[in-house]
Amino acid sequence: MSSIQIRNVTKRFGEFTAVRDLSIDIEEGEFVALLGPSGCGKTTTMNMIAGLEDPTEGQILFDGQDLSGLRIQDRNIGFVFQNYAIFTHLSVYRNLSYGLEVKKVPKPEIERRVQAMAERMSISHRLDQPASSLSVNEMQKLAIGRSAIVEPRIFLLDEPLSNLDAGFRAYMRAELKVLQHEFGQTMIYVTHDQIEAMSLADKIAIIDRGRLMQYGAPLDIYNDPQNRFVANFVGSPRMNLVDGELREERGTLKLMLHGGAEIPLSGKVRVDFTCDGSVHGGSFGVRPQDIYFGEKRGGDDITMTGKVEVLERVGPKRLAYLQVQDTLFVAFDDLDRLRVGDEVPFCLPSDKSLAFDIDTGRRLGGA
Amino acid sequence: MTDQAHTGATRTIRPQGYWVGVARDGQKMGFWFILPTFLLLLFIVIFPFFMQLYLSVTWWTPLEGIPWYSAWEVFSWFDNYLTLATDPRLWGALWRTALIMIVAVPAQFFLGMALAYLFIDQFPGRKLFYSILLTPMMIVPAVVGLMFFLLFQGTGPVNAHLGLPADFSWLTDVNRAMISVIIADIWQWTPLMFLILLAGMLGVPSDQLLAARLLGGSNWQNFVKIILPRMKTVIIIALVLRTVECFKIFDLIYIMTKGGPGVQTETISVFLYKQTFGDLEWSYVAAIGLTILIVLSVIAAKGLAYMARKQG
Repeated sequence: MSSIQIRNVTKRFGEFTAVRDLSIDIEEGEFVALLGPSGCGKTTTMNMIAGLEDPTEGQILFDGQDLSGLRIQDRNIGFVFQNYAIFTHLSVYRNLSYGLEVKKVPKPEIERRVQAMAERMSISHRLDQPASSLSVNEMQKLAIGRSAIVEPRIFLLDEPLSNLDAGFRAYMRAELKVLQHEFGQTMIYVTHDQIEAMSLADKIAIIDRGRLMQYGAPLDIYNDPQNRFVANFVGSPRMNLVDGELREERGTLKLMLHGGAEIPLSGKVRVDFTCDGSVHGGSFGVRPQDIYFGEKRGGDDITMTGKVEVLERVGPKRLAYLQVQDTLFVAFDDLDRLRVGDEVPFCLPSDKSLAFDIDTGRRLGGA
Repeated sequence: MTDQAHTGATRTIRPQGYWVGVARDGQKMGFWFILPTFLLLLFIVIFPFFMQLYLSVTWWTPLEGIPWYSAWEVFSWFDNYLTLATDPRLWGALWRTALIMIVAVPAQFFLGMALAYLFIDQFPGRKLFYSILLTPMMIVPAVVGLMFFLLFQGTGPVNAHLGLPADFSWLTDVNRAMISVIIADIWQWTPLMFLILLAGMLGVPSDQLLAARLLGGSNWQNFVKIILPRMKTVIIIALVLRTVECFKIFDLIYIMTKGGPGVQTETISVFLYKQTFGDLEWSYVAAIGLTILIVLSVIAAKGLAYMARKQG
C-alpha cells in the first residue's frame, strides 16, 4: 500500500498536450476516481502512474519516492485493463499464479495463495479450465484477482466495467467496493461514467482537456462544483445551466438570458454574482431536483413561469421540460400534476442556485 | 406431389434443348465447370503416378530401344526396390539431406526469431532494414548459388577477408563444401523464417504482454511463457515449411558444387537428377521417387492425425 503524490505533471505527445500541470495527492488506502470525458487525459495520467509513460514535466512520488528510474516489471503495480488482457492460452490457475511464478515464489505458497484468491473471487471451480472459456464477468474477476494476488503497492483500474452489460455492471460496482474495502488497497479508477465515480470513490478528480477541474469527495463535488465544467459534468439529470448578461434595472439585478428570458436575481445567488464587480456575463446553475412548483418557500427564491413542453418518466418521477421564451429548464414534476401545454409558475431556490463567470467558467461566490 | 410434378415438368422440358437442362440442373453445370481441372489433375498427377509405378517394376531406360509403354518386355519385379534398399549412394544422399535440414532449419529458426524480436519495437530505419533483410529470399536460388560460388572461390572475397591463402578451398574441400552450402541456405532462407515469425510475434496481443510485465515478469520470462506459447501454430508452420523446402534443395547445390567434391554435397534431389539425366536410370529413379512419396505420405498422415488428436 502506498500514498501517491502527483506533482505538477505535464505530458506532451509532440504538439499535443495530453496532461497539463496536474497535481493530485492520494492518501494510502484511498479509492480515487479519475473522471472525465473521452480524451481528457485520464488514461494518460493513469499510464504515467503505472510507469507506461514518462511525464514530460513534473514528478510522481510513491510514499515520497520517485520510481521513474524503475523498470515496469519492478514497480509492483496492479493494473486491470479495460479488456482484462487475460492470458487466454493459459488456464485460470496459471493466470492467477503468473505474478507469483515470475517472482519465484515457492510452489506450495503459490498453490495456497491461488486457492485463496480463487475462493475469494468465486472462480475456484474454474481453476483447471482454459481462461478463454470464462464468461466476461468471470474474466473481470480473474483480471482483478490476478493483480491482487501479488499484493501490489497500488491498484489501477482502467474503465473496468465498461465492457459489462448494465445489470452486471451495477453488481460489479458493489463487488468492487467490497473488494476495495477488503484489500484496503490504494486504488485509482479511470472512468468516464460519473455514476460509477460517485458510487465507488472516496475522492474524485475531474479532468478536462488535461487540466484538473476539481478534486474532492463525491458529495462536495456534487454540491459545491468549483466551475461550470464540473457543474455540467456531474449529476444526472444534468444541472440547468443558462448563460446571460448581468443587467441592473431599477434596483433589481437581472440575468438577461441569450434565449430572451430573464432571471431576476435575489438573495444568496445575487450576492454570488456581484461579489466580483468585474463580471458582466454569467451562467446560472440549478439542479433539476432543486426546482419546485407552487408557493415560494423561501423569501429570496426566484419565481419564473414556463410552458410544459415535454414530460418524461424517469423511474417513479417525471421530468418536466419547461420552456421560458427560448430557454429550457428541466425540473422534477414533484407533485405529478403537470400536463403538457400548461403554463406553470416554478421556483428557483436562491440558496441552492450557483453562479459562474461566463468567460472563465469559474464559480462565483461559493458556499 | 409437388416434387413429382416438378420432376415431371423437368423431364418434359429436357428434350427441348440441351442448355435448358444444364441451366436447370446445377449438378450437371458443376460437372462441366470442374472438368478442365479434373483433366489437368489427371494429366499432371494421376497419369505420371501410374506411369512411375509401371516403370519402377521394369528395367526400362531410354537406351533400351523400345518405347516406355512396352516396358513390360523388361519386367523386373521388385529388383529396383531391392537395389535402392542397399544403395550406399542413395542412403548417403538421404543422410546429407537430413544433415542440411538438421543444421540449417534450426539455425534459420533461431536467427529468424532473434531478428523478429528486434523488429517488434519501432526504431528509426525499421522499414529500410526490414526491406534489406528480406532481399535474400527474393533472389532466385540459382543466382544465390552463383553468388556463393564466387564468394567461396580460393581467390574470392571470403578468403580475402578472413586472410586465408588462395589454396584454402571451400567448395572443393571434403568437409568445407557442405559447410559452404549450409551457409548459403541459411543466408537465403533466414528472411522467410524472420518474416513468418515476426508476423506471429506481432499477433501476440500487446496488452497481454503489458499485463505480464506489470505482474513482474522479466522480458525473458514473458517471452518464454507468453510469446512462445502463443506463437506455437506459426512456429510449427514455419518449421514444416522450411523442412519440406530443405528436403527439395537442388539449385543452390547444383550451381555451387554439382554435388561434389565426389558425392560430398549430393542431396537426394541432386542424386535423382544425376541418375535421371546422367545415367538415364529412369526405372530406378521411378522406384526411388515412389518410395519417398510413400514414406513421406505416411509420415505426413501420422503428423496430421497427431495434430487432429491434440486439437480434438
